[in-house]
Amino acid sequence: MIELIRASLRYGDILGLSPTSFQLPDGGGITGLLGPNGAGKSTLIQMISGLLPPSGGEVKVVGGNPFRNPDVLRHIGLVPEGDRLPVGLKGRGWLRMMGELSGLTGTELDEAVTRTLQRVDMTERADLPFQSMSKGMRQRMRLAQALLIDPKVLILDEPFNGLDPQGRISLMALLRDLAASGTRILVSSHILGEVAMLTDHILLLFRGRLLAEGTVGEIRALLDRHPVELRLKGADLDKVAHWSVAQPELAGLRMEEEALVLSVRSPHDFLPRFQAEVAAGRLAVASLDPLDLNLDAVFQYLTKDHA
Amino acid sequence: MPNPPDFLTTVKAVAKGTGPLVFKVRGWVLAALVLVPVLGAILVALLFVAKGREGLAFIGAKISLVIFHGVLLKFMVPIMALVAAGAGIREDMEQRTLPLMLTRPAPASALPLGKGLPWFLWGSLWLVLGAAFLQVLGGDLGSLPGRMGALVGTWWAELAFVTLLGLIFKKGTLWAALWLFIWEGFLEVFPASMQRLTFTHYANSLAGSRYTESKAHDLLAQTQVDTPAFLALFILLAFGAACWAWSGWRLHRMPIGLAGAEGEG
Repeated sequence: MIELIRASLRYGDILGLSPTSFQLPDGGGITGLLGPNGAGKSTLIQMISGLLPPSGGEVKVVGGNPFRNPDVLRHIGLVPEGDRLPVGLKGRGWLRMMGELSGLTGTELDEAVTRTLQRVDMTERADLPFQSMSKGMRQRMRLAQALLIDPKVLILDEPFNGLDPQGRISLMALLRDLAASGTRILVSSHILGEVAMLTDHILLLFRGRLLAEGTVGEIRALLDRHPVELRLKGADLDKVAHWSVAQPELAGLRMEEEALVLSVRSPHDFLPRFQAEVAAGRLAVASLDPLDLNLDAVFQYLTKDHA
Repeated sequence: MPNPPDFLTTVKAVAKGTGPLVFKVRGWVLAALVLVPVLGAILVALLFVAKGREGLAFIGAKISLVIFHGVLLKFMVPIMALVAAGAGIREDMEQRTLPLMLTRPAPASALPLGKGLPWFLWGSLWLVLGAAFLQVLGGDLGSLPGRMGALVGTWWAELAFVTLLGLIFKKGTLWAALWLFIWEGFLEVFPASMQRLTFTHYANSLAGSRYTESKAHDLLAQTQVDTPAFLALFILLAFGAACWAWSGWRLHRMPIGLAGAEGEG
């Protein structure tokens, strides 16, 4: 459904995105697009949503190049970051215009506007002018214009900015529903925890390069050379520490309050051996908690490595 | 999945959707640009008459000519074009509201005209009223359609021209102002064939009158030429249409991202 073949983008002399290739399949699903500011997330989003043509390579969405291509754009909904709503217009009128620009007319347009406003919970407030709407309301209106046509591909750039906690939960639920009903969703965010709650499939960008693609677990597997911290509790932690020191994967060890923290490379090799020792009764452990098997850790490891 | 809209449907949708913007401050500025000099002129003429200095028929016709050519056509219509064209596509690019429209499957080439049309209609309304009010001061009633046509035709052409320059150049408004206020006046004193490169020439031809104060450079001027009124109107309308078409083509080709206009200038 979305395919990049060595697609790159230059802004004059500045390389916004290095040649990048990846493929997101047909059917519903959510993919997280992660990276710090300047990583190339917005550049990638702009190419996929048809705003900017690639300087090199190919971008294909629903089978075609999206730049100024109505046959492709009719399948795409974009929720950009930032306001981007014309001051002086009212929400409903503007939404109708966006519907007409999407090809909706007559009762089909009326129904789509009504249904979408309900979906984003803006029915009562849609007749306010944009300048009278709160940040959260304007975010809902941006989302509404993208959902008017039930797009096959929905692209959201930092969609959780400006939303209150309830709004974030509602948006996550909505995105999960859409993904379940067959919409391919690409969400960019720098709030990694939010994306981790939404999806485990991520594209990690840094300095205009795609660093990694896959599930959090798959990306973690790429990181075996980086130490993973494991917190262990138990009755005889000295014995555990003694055994660990003999293991080639151990990168570090420290004692915390009633816990032993091991810094381990290649946990996929280390953990089965450790598990066997515990199962054989040679080591006693009450609990084992990975400290950093989350997206933040993955992100920090990868970006640190490439900085 | 609905089919993408065609060009005219897009123009209509954008004009209808962004039309309410003409009722904001900028729209009333356009109205004021026409009405203030016209109503001011009427007031001045009435004061002259009240003081018994001149008869309205004499002073009114003269003031009417000055206001029409020297104020409305020479200054107010260009200023209106500079003000209104900014409210069209250029401002959408600068305020980054354009990308959302560009992600819709509508033809991008229709957006400049769709955005400009409400401003053209709104400005035309006030220009037609302005020309009608000027008639209060006197003058040949038969020249009223020509005057109205001159104002509206020039407004159409200049609005499209300024819009186009705004899409081609980063400082398009500045280039447009230089053309309309300096180059236009400069060309007027050139030989006849060069006068045909000015909006003023066609406006004067349509209005059936011209006004000028005798200054030193007028001595160098070649014979003033006229273009038949219908041909003058056709040229203004066709030039405007060509500028709208070029603006549409330019927007269709130009990459405009979320950060502004990546491909502009």
